[in-house]
Amino acid sequence: MKLPLLFLSLLLLALPTLAQELPADGQAGHVRFLITHNWTKKMASLDYMSEQSRQKAQYMWGSRSEWKEYMEMYFSPDASLYFLSEESPDPDLETYSWKKDAYFIRRDFAGARQSDLLTLTGKTYLVDDSLRCPAWKILNDLKEVAGHVCMSASWVDTLKGQTMLAWFALDIPSSAGPERLCGLPGMILEIDINNGALVIAADKIDFYPVDAGKLALPSKPKGKKISEAEYQSILAKYIAEKRENQEPWFWGLRY
Amino acid sequence: MRKFTLLCCFLFFILPHILPAQTPNRVTLSGTVADTSGAEIALPTVMLLNPQDSTLLNYTRGDEKGQFVFKNIPNKSYLLKVSYIGYIPLQVAVEPSPNPENNLGMLGMKPLNEQLMEVVVRTAKAALSIRGDTVEYDPSSFKVPPGSSVEDLLRRLPGIEVDAEGNIRAQGQDIRRVYVDGKTFFGDDPKAATKNLGAETLSKVQVYDEASEQTKITGIDDGKEIKVMNLELKDEYKKGSFGKVTGAVGTEERLAGRASYNRFNEQEQLSFIGYGNNINETGVNWEDYGEFKGQGAFSDFDNGDFGFEGGGRGYYFSSSGGPLNNFDGRGFTENFGGGVNYNFDNKKTKVNASYFYNQTDLTFREYTTRNNFVEEGTFTNEDTLRQDAFQRRHSLSSRLEHEIDSSNNIIVKANLALRENDTQQAKSQYFTDNLDMPINRLLTATDNLTGAGDLTSAAIFRHRFRKKGRTFAASAGFNATGNDGDDDLLFQNLFIRTEDPSEFFRQDADVANRTQQLKSSLLFTEPLSKKWFVESFYNFSQTNNLADRQVEDPTQNGGERIDSLSIYYDNQVLYNRLGSVVRYAHDGLNIGMGLAAQQLQLKGDYARGEGEPALGDPVRLDFFNWIPYASMEYEFTNNMSVDFDYRYSVNEPSFTDLQPVAIITNPLFVREGNPALEPERMHSINLGYNYWNPASFANIGVHGGFNVYDEQIVYNQTVELIDSVGLRTTTAPANAKGGYGYDFWFWSNFPIIKTKLSAGINGGLNGRLAPAFVNDVKNETRTNGVDGRFSLNYTPSNKLILNGGISVGLDDVQYSIQSQQNQQLISNSAYAGVKWEFVPKTFVESNFNYNANRNDQTGFEQNVPIWNASVRRIFGPKNRWETRLAAFDLLDRRVNVVQRATQNYVTTSVAETLAQYFMLSLSYNVRGFETGVKKRGFW
Repeated sequence: MKLPLLFLSLLLLALPTLAQELPADGQAGHVRFLITHNWTKKMASLDYMSEQSRQKAQYMWGSRSEWKEYMEMYFSPDASLYFLSEESPDPDLETYSWKKDAYFIRRDFAGARQSDLLTLTGKTYLVDDSLRCPAWKILNDLKEVAGHVCMSASWVDTLKGQTMLAWFALDIPSSAGPERLCGLPGMILEIDINNGALVIAADKIDFYPVDAGKLALPSKPKGKKISEAEYQSILAKYIAEKRENQEPWFWGLRY
Repeated sequence: MRKFTLLCCFLFFILPHILPAQTPNRVTLSGTVADTSGAEIALPTVMLLNPQDSTLLNYTRGDEKGQFVFKNIPNKSYLLKVSYIGYIPLQVAVEPSPNPENNLGMLGMKPLNEQLMEVVVRTAKAALSIRGDTVEYDPSSFKVPPGSSVEDLLRRLPGIEVDAEGNIRAQGQDIRRVYVDGKTFFGDDPKAATKNLGAETLSKVQVYDEASEQTKITGIDDGKEIKVMNLELKDEYKKGSFGKVTGAVGTEERLAGRASYNRFNEQEQLSFIGYGNNINETGVNWEDYGEFKGQGAFSDFDNGDFGFEGGGRGYYFSSSGGPLNNFDGRGFTENFGGGVNYNFDNKKTKVNASYFYNQTDLTFREYTTRNNFVEEGTFTNEDTLRQDAFQRRHSLSSRLEHEIDSSNNIIVKANLALRENDTQQAKSQYFTDNLDMPINRLLTATDNLTGAGDLTSAAIFRHRFRKKGRTFAASAGFNATGNDGDDDLLFQNLFIRTEDPSEFFRQDADVANRTQQLKSSLLFTEPLSKKWFVESFYNFSQTNNLADRQVEDPTQNGGERIDSLSIYYDNQVLYNRLGSVVRYAHDGLNIGMGLAAQQLQLKGDYARGEGEPALGDPVRLDFFNWIPYASMEYEFTNNMSVDFDYRYSVNEPSFTDLQPVAIITNPLFVREGNPALEPERMHSINLGYNYWNPASFANIGVHGGFNVYDEQIVYNQTVELIDSVGLRTTTAPANAKGGYGYDFWFWSNFPIIKTKLSAGINGGLNGRLAPAFVNDVKNETRTNGVDGRFSLNYTPSNKLILNGGISVGLDDVQYSIQSQQNQQLISNSAYAGVKWEFVPKTFVESNFNYNANRNDQTGFEQNVPIWNASVRRIFGPKNRWETRLAAFDLLDRRVNVVQRATQNYVTTSVAETLAQYFMLSLSYNVRGFETGVKKRGFW
């Protein structure tokens, strides 16, 4: 009779500590992002292509140039891992599978480091450096994304020529975000690049404890280790070359 | 002076005490966030922004009691921003603090109008902009029927009321003034804008308080504020128009004109195009056609024929005479055409409708030499053809795509074309034997007048089940074509050997053809797991064909029917196929394996004329086959891929080949039928390899295709020398076992000097073995072809492009019955081109082509050098004008040469065409012409 009582009281004593071990609500979990690509808007953002050819692409392709894909992200108070999803939002593409380039974006907020395993112009790299986040400008708009009220912020990526409008959640205290973006007081749930050329929006968020294994980079493939500065210079060189050739740079690079 | 000393003393003693106290380097900033009633706000987000540009410098989160602190931060001006769900974000200007501790005290946040929050942010999922007291709505989130006014839209916006008279109230206050793009619209009546503007023209609706007119005039705030509304119009780029017009005059009475005009807005596109010329442009080019069709240009690929290849029983109507330029290089043409196209697209519904008219008047003269090989030797005919053909065509096309809801989608399309053809031709054929001795000369005059109509239509429905990956699709189509014509022939055969008097024949044929096809397909896809799927399909088609050719001799009894040449037949092909494919798709590997049961039923009844007794036994054929299929595609990680597929096809013989009587449209060429023909059966295998380097954009592709026939339909020939007539060739279709075909090609493009010099190389091998009987002796014709091209593109600057290349082609043809007649057809060419902007906006462009055609066996050799050059200048405001002086074929050498060797004959044709002329043109382009030399486009 005493034993169960003791057990119960022990359990009761342990409960608050157990609960403390779990991250508080909104601290860890999984997010699915839906990416909508709009090719004509991507083309419209290339200032080095002639005005006539950009207008023509818009006129001829218009709304037919959209396609969608999913990305996923695990996050905890310490880190986040963003990667390509196995699922496809387009049911017509379900019965066909494309080989996907490596793309794993890891942000270690506790150790202030970034390590990205990604394929760039046909080669796989590990971009390993101290954490760099954009210098965001905070704007005044409010909007709901996937059930969370978000505030807007913007940043201009001068290298790729992209104006980004981010929507960060006021109630998810994480500075994680999709792609290589981070550094806002709440999790970035939506990014609109160049007025709709690429829209990445969270469409499903689940909160649950995430163990460290889910937040780790895969052991394969191996990538050549480079710094953020080296990564930026590979991008810069490639974009400059495509500019010289009057070709869109995003046929060979992630937008 | 004393005053100055005093001041100096004051500064000397006092200042050091004040300054350090005013500006400590570091400061700790703290405060408490509460709502306006004083209640604490737990866990607010607090941000420090740069006051100049709102850049985020630091952020923190308050505690449960709303207290926040920024420790040891630089002491300077900040914009402190506090946000919390359900409250209007609060901004506080923070100045450098004189103390190291700067407590801002209690910061009160105003609750956000609950209705706005719920309705706008949560329900409409619209962005709600808050700029101070301004609240902004995004009208696109509030659906109103097309054609609604702004007033209708406002009635739907939360927090805004519109009464029966059109008076507007926002957040409980009357709207006194309505601005459009920040400006007063038609005086002071707020209703003028809301009643007259269309809801679809707006991009934003803003409501805010404005100082009263009194305050504006006096500059003294009387404390009275009025509610105003601003309507922001959508950006201008969403609607617009563009167009261009070109007129050109040249030597040799050459004229050309082209015009196009396009209007568009966010949902609609309307375009017009027209052209007329005598410079052999029989239609518009791809670029202009694409712009004319706009968003409807890429909708021609709807496929309602489900299942693996061969399920379609595709019914293709001749596309010749369509809006695209399809000049084949022979003769002189006069062309006119024009059309209108309309597209509508609101993402759910896409509509495309277009009408096009075009006509071409073609005249040409062609000289052809044909060497025919039979076992006994070779005979030759030399033909001179003169043709005058007039064609006109009206075509209407329409397509509707509608997304009923997220799981149902339908496409309906219909195309109609009406064609008219009036052709006169005169042909002289001179026959000689293997000793070059003349046999006979045949003169033929043909007058053909045909009217035809084609209709194609289809509907495709797709449904997605709730279960992921499970889909159903159904399609139905109806196609019909019909033509009626008069085909009048006049022959004169001069038999030279026997010095017989020349012989005249006349045939007046009344020709009518009717074909109708009804088809339908079903497809069901079921996922077995994440990687495995099964596709099951059923295809059905029924094709009815009626052909009537009544031939009479107008010289006999006032038009007596020539029975031997008249035929009437009615036939039907019924096709059923049921099959399944199992597919695997994962990580770049796609495999498909399938099997189908296919049934073909052919029914044919032949008679001399309608309602007359049957000719021979009716055709009743029934073929059943199992059709296997396999395919595999694999992508490696480094942008390399391989693919493979295997197909088996069974194609029924055509009814022309099955007919039991001969068709004679020329007394020296008779075409017989064969009612006992079996279908053609073929295995085919395709293999491919592709590589693309995303860093350099270099690519390589290799492809191989092989066909092996189980059963082939071949055309046996009988060549006889008939007294007083000459050499008569009779062709009869028959089945033959064996025979194969292959083709292999590769291509590669690669940069040699990045961004400056690039090269392209491609080439191929192809061949086939075709057995056929010639005068009852089996002849196997082996054809092997090889071709290759190499090109270089050099762009030293953005003002100059140079390019050049060579190509070689060789066809080797071997005949088993007469190996001494084996042929080698050679056609090689080289080209060079330049585009140079030598003065800004002034370009010189030139290209030179040299084509060499040779056949050593027949001694044929013809070399054609073509040199074109032009200079053009862009001028005027926005580069809208362009003038161009062009010289075509400066060497005056253009002719059209075609060499062909097959079965048991080789032909060489040379046709006259438009050669040297000079042309001056003037063009106007609303969008402006592109300056600079264009290296590449988007594709």
